[in-house]
Amino acid sequence: MSKKIFIAALVLVLAGFSAFGQAQGEYPERDITNVLVWGAGGGTDTCNRVVMAEMSEILGVNINVVNKPGGTAGSVGMQDAYSREHDGYTICGLSESCVTASVQGAWDKRMNVWDYFIIGGSPDVVSVTPDTPWQTMEELIEYAKANPGEVKAGASGAGSIHHLNLLALENGTGAKFNFIPYGGSAPSQNAAMTGEINVVVTSVAEQAQLIRGGKLRALGVLVPDDFPFGDGVLPTAFDVYPSLSDYLPLSQAIGFAVPQDVPQNVKDVLRDAFAEAMETDSVKEFGKKNFYILSGKVGEEAGKVFDSLESNFAWTLWELGAAKVNPADLGIPKP
Amino acid sequence: MFFSQLGIFFENLYMLALDPVNILILFGAVIMGIIFGAMPGLTATLGVALLTTLTYGMSQHTAMIALLAIYVGGVYGGSYASILINIPGTAAAAATALDGYPLACKGEGGKALGLTTTASAIGTFIGMLFVVGLSPLISRLALQFTSFEFFLLALFGIIISGTLTSHDLVYKGWIAGLIGLWMATIGRDGLQFYPRFTFGISEFESGIDIVPVLIGAFGIPQIIQVLKDKVNVGEAKKFQRILPEFRTIIKHFPDILRSSLIGVGIGAVPGIGEDIAGWVSYGAAKNSSNHPERFGKGEIKAVVSTETANNSCIGGAMIPLLNLGVPGSPPAAMLLGALLLHGIQPGPMLMIDHPHFILQVTAILLLASVAMWISGMLLAKQVVKVLRIPPQLFMPIIAVLCVVGSYALGTRIFNLYLMIPVGIISYFLVEMGYPIAPLVIGVILGPMADQNLRRALMVSQGSFAPMFSRPVSLILVLVIVLTIFSQTKPYKKMMASVGASLEARRVKRREQRNK
Repeated sequence: MSKKIFIAALVLVLAGFSAFGQAQGEYPERDITNVLVWGAGGGTDTCNRVVMAEMSEILGVNINVVNKPGGTAGSVGMQDAYSREHDGYTICGLSESCVTASVQGAWDKRMNVWDYFIIGGSPDVVSVTPDTPWQTMEELIEYAKANPGEVKAGASGAGSIHHLNLLALENGTGAKFNFIPYGGSAPSQNAAMTGEINVVVTSVAEQAQLIRGGKLRALGVLVPDDFPFGDGVLPTAFDVYPSLSDYLPLSQAIGFAVPQDVPQNVKDVLRDAFAEAMETDSVKEFGKKNFYILSGKVGEEAGKVFDSLESNFAWTLWELGAAKVNPADLGIPKP
Repeated sequence: MFFSQLGIFFENLYMLALDPVNILILFGAVIMGIIFGAMPGLTATLGVALLTTLTYGMSQHTAMIALLAIYVGGVYGGSYASILINIPGTAAAAATALDGYPLACKGEGGKALGLTTTASAIGTFIGMLFVVGLSPLISRLALQFTSFEFFLLALFGIIISGTLTSHDLVYKGWIAGLIGLWMATIGRDGLQFYPRFTFGISEFESGIDIVPVLIGAFGIPQIIQVLKDKVNVGEAKKFQRILPEFRTIIKHFPDILRSSLIGVGIGAVPGIGEDIAGWVSYGAAKNSSNHPERFGKGEIKAVVSTETANNSCIGGAMIPLLNLGVPGSPPAAMLLGALLLHGIQPGPMLMIDHPHFILQVTAILLLASVAMWISGMLLAKQVVKVLRIPPQLFMPIIAVLCVVGSYALGTRIFNLYLMIPVGIISYFLVEMGYPIAPLVIGVILGPMADQNLRRALMVSQGSFAPMFSRPVSLILVLVIVLTIFSQTKPYKKMMASVGASLEARRVKRREQRNK
């Protein structure tokens, strides 16, 4: 019995020491947890795991990725990560889709409570099925302008990033498509395979196999620069329609975040490690293999990206009648 | 070409089977799958999802073994709970309960389990043959399915399960199916994100989860009934031979073959999976039987058909997953995530990027079906013993498992508040002679029917014409109309008169011959 008490006392003393040590030592002293708001195997998950593996080597501690999917737009995971100590030992792996949580009534804060580290994302590409006559973006857009609502364009459900890109394409060019919503990118691409739709807007990463296999013809990417693909490039749509830059780019932004009020020195350590990790071969290789545009934005710059995503997503959903909470009430400015 | 492929196949098989770690993981994952399948509420989909996270550190080969093995085990394990306690462990095994449970009540639970184990293994194996043999052909066929076809397929699934499960009036089955369809519309719709029937309650926003409905609707009526009537399930103390006789397998081989084809076909169509395969196969078995009146009362043929179909569905579901990058069933969707995690992008370029991957998958499926058969045979003997536990002790345990199961997926307390009323309403429906399976199938297939019909009309800009001009769609319409019409009085009268005239003609011919 006395032995047990002795061991218990020893454990307490050691725990006390380690707690004391923490207060003294420099961040990070123990393992970091990355609460990831989406499921295992998805884009956000894979991407975060690759970068976390590098960062944990640089920081010399483990970074454990814990998947906490659920709620609306990742609200369960965000809530969980935000409710833990704001000491930098909990970070939150997230993506652009999380910005809709607040207008959907699942998250009571604005997205600027987070300080972001953006890894990157795959740009959206507009593709057509091979049996259609359109060889260039211009041909497609001019046809859709002349015959409004005739061309069937598919993307994942109303208010998704790809739907937003399609809307921006319409607004920036004046074309009008018959938008057919699907449950996700894969079903929309499959519908293109069956010939149900002629135009599909999803990310390059999602379409890569189909473009290379000749099952889809890529007409243009919805980012300002041409995107390297295989031996050539996928041309940007901005060259032909410069007014697109008023609405775009609205790209996928995968990364992670810590609460804004995490101490500055902790943020600095994370930013340095993040910058170093983004320069490693394995991260670059991952980006290339998965058709990502690597960003590496942090701090104010990254915050701007998420501000713009938040206002675009929130107001689009509100205008579609799909938002529960008025973005104006949350103080989200109009895009 | 064919022989070099065969050579690579056996090389893969040999390589995988030689590594003791792989074999250990294979059996571990299969048994874990069986447990997931057998527990009400834990599904093959959840099993694959949970295991995906754990495979991150494994090599690609080992990870694929673990994931495919848990998938095969999970689909098979559902039959345990269906047969032994009449609560399907997974939606895929709901059709198995119709005849499996009566068999267990007759004291033939062991025999039934032995047969379903063998049938499941053969089904998985045949499904595997299709993956390697007919992949390109089947994926082309799957591309005939657009929104109209998906809508009709979902509708057919609901109608057929309503038709097959009604004891007295077929309308009761269809009514139960419609209730399920209505429940599926609760929440925000998948196309425009518009809230329906939510009454401002935020928990309803994300819709009705399938698992609590499945558990509540099947579990609670069963628990109340067993405790009320003090049914003692089967004389399980009787010696039972688990290993089926070779003769029985040969006798049911036509059923196994037919069900495998149905399973592969349904698995190959993206988005629908093992649950529909079980029902369609049950219907086909009943229609082809000389004694349809025995169905629902403990017919071996029925149990063999449903279990073969839901397992061969796995192979079917792999076909569009590997060739098109489109998962053929819900667990296959989780598998897609896992593949991406391991750097494999399925799709038309898979054969170029990873030329041996499909052969590797088939080799693993073969190993998994063998491992499933061995573990199944060993487990079945022990599992049947649960029937010896007096129901007064056993049913409360099941009740606790039901509660845990409803909560486990998604960890939402709201699911418990949902499960209990659904269960109580289901109890009264069962008492009034309404079958419960069509209600659950309605909830499962409802979103598919709803979204695809509306999407199809968006594509055709409001016209129903494509439904009758597309060949696959037209066939489905005819099948549905025939299914409904065959239950009406004029049809039955007509069939009776046709039967009588045929009989008369036969008698006449015999008389002539005798002369």
